Amino acid sequence: MKIDQKDIEKKWKESVDNNIKRFPERKSSFQTSSEIDVERLYYPENDNDYYEKLGFPGEYPYTRGIQPTMYRSKYWTMRQYAGFGSAIETNKRFRYLLEQGQTGLSVAFDLPTQIGYDSDDMMAEGEVGRVGVAIDTLHDMEALLDKIPLDKVSTSMTINAPASVLLAMYIAVGEKQGVEKGKLTGTIQNDILKEYIARGTYIFPPKPSMRLITNIFEYCGEHVPKFNTISISGYHIREAGSTAVQEAAFTIANGMAYVDAAIEAGLDVDAFAPRLAFFFNAHNNFFEEIAKFRAARRVWAKIMKEHYQAKNPKSWKLRFHTQTGGSTLTAQQPDNNIVRVTMQALAAVLGGTQSLHTNSRDEALALPTEESARIALRTQQIIANESGVADTVDPLGGSYFVEALTDKIEEEMEAYLDQINELGGSVTAIEEGFMQREIHRTAYETQLRIEKEEEIIVGLNKYKIDEEVNPELLKVDEALERQQKASLQEIRHDRDNEMVVSTLKQLGWAAKKPEENLMPYILNAVKAYASVGEICNVLRKEFGEYGI
Amino acid sequence: MAKIRVLIAKPGLDGHDRGALVIAQGLRDHGMEVVYTGLRQSPAQIAKAAIQEDVDVVGLSSLSGAHRTLFPKVVEELKSLNAGDIPVIGGGVIPSEDISFLEEQGVKKIFTSGSSIEELANYIVTLVGPMEGEVTKKISHIGIAVKSIEQSLPFYTKILGLELEGIEEIDSESVKVAFLKIGDSRFELLEATTDNSPIHKFIVKRGEGIHHIALDVEDIEARMRSLSKNGIEFINPEPKTGAHRSQIAFMHPKSTQGVLFELCEEAGGE
Repeated sequence: MKIDQKDIEKKWKESVDNNIKRFPERKSSFQTSSEIDVERLYYPENDNDYYEKLGFPGEYPYTRGIQPTMYRSKYWTMRQYAGFGSAIETNKRFRYLLEQGQTGLSVAFDLPTQIGYDSDDMMAEGEVGRVGVAIDTLHDMEALLDKIPLDKVSTSMTINAPASVLLAMYIAVGEKQGVEKGKLTGTIQNDILKEYIARGTYIFPPKPSMRLITNIFEYCGEHVPKFNTISISGYHIREAGSTAVQEAAFTIANGMAYVDAAIEAGLDVDAFAPRLAFFFNAHNNFFEEIAKFRAARRVWAKIMKEHYQAKNPKSWKLRFHTQTGGSTLTAQQPDNNIVRVTMQALAAVLGGTQSLHTNSRDEALALPTEESARIALRTQQIIANESGVADTVDPLGGSYFVEALTDKIEEEMEAYLDQINELGGSVTAIEEGFMQREIHRTAYETQLRIEKEEEIIVGLNKYKIDEEVNPELLKVDEALERQQKASLQEIRHDRDNEMVVSTLKQLGWAAKKPEENLMPYILNAVKAYASVGEICNVLRKEFGEYGI
Repeated sequence: MAKIRVLIAKPGLDGHDRGALVIAQGLRDHGMEVVYTGLRQSPAQIAKAAIQEDVDVVGLSSLSGAHRTLFPKVVEELKSLNAGDIPVIGGGVIPSEDISFLEEQGVKKIFTSGSSIEELANYIVTLVGPMEGEVTKKISHIGIAVKSIEQSLPFYTKILGLELEGIEEIDSESVKVAFLKIGDSRFELLEATTDNSPIHKFIVKRGEGIHHIALDVEDIEARMRSLSKNGIEFINPEPKTGAHRSQIAFMHPKSTQGVLFELCEEAGGE
């Protein structure tokens, strides 16, 4: 196909001009330490292949990035995942991180919250406040977000099965702060498919779960338009042991399943697709990771434009958050992890991520301490401010190696997508255990390679030292579970229980009617201080539970 | 030999099962039969499954920080179902300071991040292997009855060139014992201190010479149970304290074709 190169170049230059009006570049000119000028973008002339496969940043198929000027205008969002113990403690950590220059919040919830159990449920025993903050009712959410202006800070919430409940709580807190729904920004993870594959915090079977998700797409499209309604996640698939290709391919396959479900529910693709976000892992193999991000962008853009016929370019763009690879960290010589995280973060930046979480060095041992969390944030700040890698767009674009890897990963992703499509799509492939088996096979092979020392992990199977691993670790107070239960009891006593019963009843009624959007019902229940567990139990009764 | 049976279980709400799945397959590849519970099991469910599946060991995995509550509960539940002899081991993200706590609560051993399947499989074999008639790895010592240690010693030290480790009196057995190191094992010279001493009776009946062979074991109680199951009788049905604070028990020679075998579990911390 003959491409009008001049026309494409002109289009990019126009969009740069427009973009700079809204997001001026950080400096009027960029230079190296030797005062060599650094251009916005380096690209070849008269190279048809280049224009077809790579193109310009901010232009289809987005191989080189989704914005025309990328980090020359604005760095990625530095977003550290945090949350432990009580809402009040977590609120303190959030305010500390914001003071330290973090630009977005990311909330970790404890497992009972993520699986829709109240803190006083028998199933919650020993888990309250462990891996994240315990949220039972709106009361806890108010404490979590106390004095954090929701019109200025964007919040990412790692919540899936009960995502609508936590989103409703966020909206309700916004209302109490006087912030309209339309101004709220942030992301809910809301990606149930990867829970079945890799992460395990599912509640309901796939079909009603997909309904809850499309209800959110629809509701937010109308009322909360700046919120990312889903963060389609490869991160956990990778942590479960997949390869880079499997991570990217299964994530895109899941993304297609959500688009299919929403279209089937009667939504127009361009009404919800611009708010779909992605979440990837950054592991150790430096160039492969960079190529993975670039390939994923190109594959998604083609699918959205060609397969789903989306018209709005925003629907074509794969926007993603990255977290460095938790499973690559070692409990041995934990300070070495700072170096691993640095390389992984650099790969994410060179791959064009929109936001980034850098892991703390002590995460193979326990939840991070404040000091470790600060070093992790500083790692990003050093890459942004000192390395110069943010001064030109897609600095590795055109590298023979990186482009060849990008092409190869794209090809292998497409092979997986075909295979999943033949199985009947992601949902069926998951129900049949296809992805789980593929991931497990890779995880086991990796373990054997490490044990046979075919794969070297520094400090683990080579360069070992005798050490007493006893760094200062963060401890979650064991009294917390008791306090959280007591506080929940108090709320149950003080709230208007007639209101709770009636809102829950209406929710149960709506759950029986597939054409009802459940979001407004959940919002009403939340505002009456119904708990996460009470709301989820109503839905459990109507929808059943996965795997039980 | 029957295969070792292992239950791999995920207590609590933690969904990270990569480690559990990899270990399950790894142990299968080491010839064990492995049952995996799946996610979200309560301690009571795990104990019940362990009994139903008739496993030799239970392996728990948790990465959510709930191990301090949930691992000891599994041990308790097993005890309450009269299955306290099924050992429980664990793994996951477990800070070193919690390991001693869990061991005090009856968890046999914790494997943390970076442990290999090989290590784990070897550990399980030594932990539960004896129950399946697994090999005994070494001779702790050979007991030799002598009339007088003082008179016999020079043969061992001067002529055989062995090193004398020490001499100890054990009142409960009415013997004086001299230890001579030979490789990883020892000779134990036994001299009666009273006429009621079994050594005195032995010498009167048979004269000086080899008295018993002691086998080194890791968990004497478990080993006695498994040997009893195989019809071996013991002279002392409960372990008693021997030299160097070790725990010892003698098998009856009529169960062992005339040889007096001793089981010997060395005291920890040496």
